[in-house]
Amino acid sequence: MDYMNKEKYMDETLLIVYGDSVLGLHGEGFSYLFSYVKGGLESLVIDGKEWLYRTPKPAFWRAVTDNDRGNGFPLRSGMWMGADSFISYIGGEVMVDGSEIPLPIAPENNKYTGNERAKKVYLKFFYETITVPSTKVEVAYEVCADGKINVHVRYHGNDKLPELPVFGIRFVMPTKAVGYRYEGLSGETYPDRMAGGISGIYDIDGLPVTKYLVPQDCNVHMKTKWLEVYRDTTLNNADQNNKTFGLKFSAMEEGKEFAFSCIPYTPLELENASHHEELPPARRTVVSILGAVRGVGGIDSWGADVEPDYRINAGKDINYSFRISKASINN
Amino acid sequence: MKADITWLDQPEVFRVNQLPAHSDHEFYSGREEFLHGKNSLAQPLDGEWRFCYSVNATERPANFFEEDYPEEGFGYIKVPCHIELAGYDKIHYINTMYPWEGHMFRRPAHALNKADGAEGSFSRADYNPVGSYIKHFDLEEGLKGKRVVILFEGVEQAMYVWLNGSFVGYAEDSFTPSEFDLTPFIKEKDNVLAVEVHKRSTAAYLEDQDFFRFFGIYRDVTLYALPKLHVEDIWVKTALKEDNVSGTFALDVKLSGDKPAGTVVIRLADSENKICLEKKLPIINSNIRMDPEELKGITLWSHKNPYLYELTISIEDENGKEVEFVPYKVGFRRIEIRNKLMLLNGSRLIINGVNRHEWSAEGGRCIGRREMEWDIQVMKNNNINAVRTCHYPNQLSWYNMCDENGIYMMAEANLESHGSWQKLGTAEPSWNVPGSLPAWEPAVVDRAKTNFEVFKNHTSILFWSLGNESYAGDGIESMNRFYKEIDDSRLVHYEGVVHNRAYEETVSDVESRMYAPPAQIKEYLENDPKKPFILCEYMHDMGNSLGGMKSYIDLLEEYPMYQGGFIWDYIDQALFVRDEVSGEMVLRYGGDFDDRPSDYEFSGNGIVFADRTEKPAMQEVKYYYGLYE
Repeated sequence: MDYMNKEKYMDETLLIVYGDSVLGLHGEGFSYLFSYVKGGLESLVIDGKEWLYRTPKPAFWRAVTDNDRGNGFPLRSGMWMGADSFISYIGGEVMVDGSEIPLPIAPENNKYTGNERAKKVYLKFFYETITVPSTKVEVAYEVCADGKINVHVRYHGNDKLPELPVFGIRFVMPTKAVGYRYEGLSGETYPDRMAGGISGIYDIDGLPVTKYLVPQDCNVHMKTKWLEVYRDTTLNNADQNNKTFGLKFSAMEEGKEFAFSCIPYTPLELENASHHEELPPARRTVVSILGAVRGVGGIDSWGADVEPDYRINAGKDINYSFRISKASINN
Repeated sequence: MKADITWLDQPEVFRVNQLPAHSDHEFYSGREEFLHGKNSLAQPLDGEWRFCYSVNATERPANFFEEDYPEEGFGYIKVPCHIELAGYDKIHYINTMYPWEGHMFRRPAHALNKADGAEGSFSRADYNPVGSYIKHFDLEEGLKGKRVVILFEGVEQAMYVWLNGSFVGYAEDSFTPSEFDLTPFIKEKDNVLAVEVHKRSTAAYLEDQDFFRFFGIYRDVTLYALPKLHVEDIWVKTALKEDNVSGTFALDVKLSGDKPAGTVVIRLADSENKICLEKKLPIINSNIRMDPEELKGITLWSHKNPYLYELTISIEDENGKEVEFVPYKVGFRRIEIRNKLMLLNGSRLIINGVNRHEWSAEGGRCIGRREMEWDIQVMKNNNINAVRTCHYPNQLSWYNMCDENGIYMMAEANLESHGSWQKLGTAEPSWNVPGSLPAWEPAVVDRAKTNFEVFKNHTSILFWSLGNESYAGDGIESMNRFYKEIDDSRLVHYEGVVHNRAYEETVSDVESRMYAPPAQIKEYLENDPKKPFILCEYMHDMGNSLGGMKSYIDLLEEYPMYQGGFIWDYIDQALFVRDEVSGEMVLRYGGDFDDRPSDYEFSGNGIVFADRTEKPAMQEVKYYYGLYE
C-alpha cells in the first residue's frame, strides 16, 4: 500500500475504506480487506506480505484416523466432511467504535468519503452449514487501531447433529511456511494424549506431516498460548524480498489456550492419499486454529470409540477466541 | 532314510533327525578363545547361495540334492533373506485369515473329520512355493576332524536338509533353532549342502501370525564343531530367598562325545570378576548335576539394576587339559504369585510392556544386531520395562540383551491359529487347531518344549507364553502342563482361555486379556477375581492413536491385582520399496503388492514407525510408564 500516505495513520486510528463489496481497514504496517462476497477476511497484509490464499472458513473435518475409521466414526459423522468443504455465507454485521451501522455495501456506502477513521471496527460473518439439519456459525473480527485482530468464533449447537471431529477456523496461506514456533506442549498432542507433553517454546522446521502409514489427521498441538508462522516467499510477482516474515496467533487470556495444526495440506488432501508419496507437493500452509478437538482413542482400532470425555458433542455451543497480530520477527 | 514329501501334509511329522533342543549357550575350545572373542569351532555359512524357485512341490527340482546335480539353471540368493524380498515370490500381508483364503479350500487334517488326513493338502497344492538352496563349502581348520553340526536359527516354514547327497533331516517351527548332525556325511572339502524350503506345510495352521507371510532361510546358518567332550545343554537354577540377599545356585550339565571322563570346573563370578562359587565335579556319566549351593550377599537382578553374574564351565579331560569352555550370564530374581499378586523379588510386579515383532523395513523379519540394540535403547529411553516376543521366539541375542538391560520377558512359543476359530469377528471354533485333536498336540507341545529348552537360562524371562489367539483345548492345556511340570521358577501365560473358560483352571497363571476396555477390567477385578490380571495386548497404536492411556494407568493405583500390560505394538510393519512414480524409497503395506486378500495398513501399529523413529505418541508412553518406573 505504498500509495497510502503514512501520515494518515499518525493519529493511531484505522482508516476505513467502505468499498462496494469489500471493506478495507488500513493502519501502519497492515492492511485488511473483508469481503461481503467471499464472506470473510479476504486479505490480511502485514508489512506488505499477504497471509491469505482464500477467505478463512469454519473447519469441521479432520482426515479420519485409523481409529476413527475402525469405530465407524466417518459413517456416523461423515456429513461434517461435506460441511467442511461447502458452507453458505448468509450475511454480515459491522460495528464501528461500538455502534452498529447498516451494512456498508453499494449503494449504502455512497455516503462515505474515504477519510473515515475509527479506533475499533468489528465485523461479524454468519454461516449456515449444509448439514441436515443445518446449524450456524459466527466468526467475528474485532480490528484494533494497532492492527491486532481479535477473532471470536461461535458454533451454535444442534443436538440433531452427529459428533464433530473438530471445530475451528482454517487459514490457508499462499505459500509454504519455512517453519513455526509455539508456546505449548511438546510434540503432537490430542485431548486424550497430552499428559506426556512438556510445556515450553518449540521451534519447528518446515511443515512436518507425521508419517503415519496411511496419511491422517496429525500434528495437532493442544494448550497453545501462541503460535508464530514464518514464511519467506509470497505469490506477489513484484516482491523479490525473501526475508523471513511471520504472523502470530495468540490466546486472548490466561487459561484460554487454543489448539492448532500447521501443515501443508487440507484434511481432504490427507484423506485422499493412501500413502505419503501420493500427497501433492507441499505448496501452501494450512493453519487450523481449533476450539474443539476430538481425541484419538486407543483401546482398539476396530470398534472402540474415543472415551466419552474426548468426544465433541455437536449439540452444545462452542465459543472460543484468539488474536492475530504480526510476529516479533518482523520488528 | 529318505525324505518324504508327504511330511508336509502330516501334522504328526515336524522334526526328523533334528537334534534335541538345548540351551543357547556359546561354547569355545578354551577360555583363551572366549577372551579373544573368536571361535574356531564356528563357521558361518551366511552369504550367497545357489537358489531355485518353484511354484509348487511338483515342479521343484526334486533331485537337486544329488552331488553331481547340474546347477546351471539355479540363480543366487543371499542367506539370510526372505525369498519374497529377493523378488522370487509375491509379498503378502494378511491378519487372521489364512493366506490361501478364497484361493483354495483347505481344512486341517483330522479336524472336521477324524478319518480325513487331508493328504496332499500341501505337497500337491498348485501354489505352495519351494526354495531349493545349494551351498558349497570346505571345512575351516578348526572344524576338521571333529563332530560337526549345522544350526539354522530360523527357516520358514518347513525344510529338508541333505549333505553330499545324503538325507540329513527335516524341521518345522520357523522361529526356533533347528540343528542337525552332519558328522556321518561331512568331508573336509567340497561339501554340497542342499536345503529345500517349503512355504507351507501343516505348520501353516499353527503359524498364522498377523504379519507379512514370508518363507526362506531368514536367520543365520552356522556350522559348529563339537569338542571331543561337549556341553550339549546346561540348566542353571538360581533361587533367591525371601530376604533377597541369600539364595542357592544349582546346575545341570549334559555332555556328549567321548566316553565321559575328566572334570567339570564350574565357577560363578560377580560383575567385578570376584569368584563367588567354585566347584569341580568329576565326569562319571554324561549327566552332571551340581546340587544347590548356598550363596549369601547376592545382588539381585531387576529392571532397575539388571545385575548379572558370570557363570563359566570348563570341561577338562583326564589329563586336566581344557577341552571346552562355556560362559553364561545369570541373575538372581524371584517371580511368584502370592495372595493372587504377582511379585518380583517380593514386590508387586508392574508391567510397563510392549509387544515386539522382529521387523525392519529393509529386511522384514531378517534383522541384525543394530536393530536390536536400537530397540533396547528406545525401551530404556521410554520407561518400557517388559517385552512380549509376539508371537514366536526371537533371535538368540535378543534374550541376552533383555537379561543385560533388565527387560522383563514374556517368552512366547511359536503358535497362532486365529484363522481356525476367529471368523468374521466372532469365535467359531468348528475346525480349531490345535484344539483337542490328538494329531496336532505333539507339534504344539514340541514348540513349547523347544522354547523352554533353548531359553530356560535367561533371567529376564518371567513368563512362558503358550502362544497367541489359538483358542483353548487339550493341546494348549498340554503345553501349559509341560511348563508347569518342568519349571517351577516362572509363570505361564495364555490369553485364549477367555474364549473357552472350560480350560481356565488348567491354563495360565494369570488372567490375561487383550484390548479390554477399562470398565471390563474393573468388572473382573471387582467380582472375586481368581488370578492376577494383565493385558497381553492393549493401546492398539495403529496410526494416530494411543489416546486414553490414563484410564489404564489409573487402574494400577486402584487395583493391586491389575498389574499392567503390553502395548500393541513396538514397530510398524511396512516395507521400503522404490516408488514406481518418483523413484524415491517409500513405505508400503499390505495390498501394495497385488496381494489379496489383505488387511492392508493393519500391520502399522507401532510406537515407532517402520523406519524405527519414534511416533509422537511415544512421549505419552514415556510419561505414563515413568509414573511406575
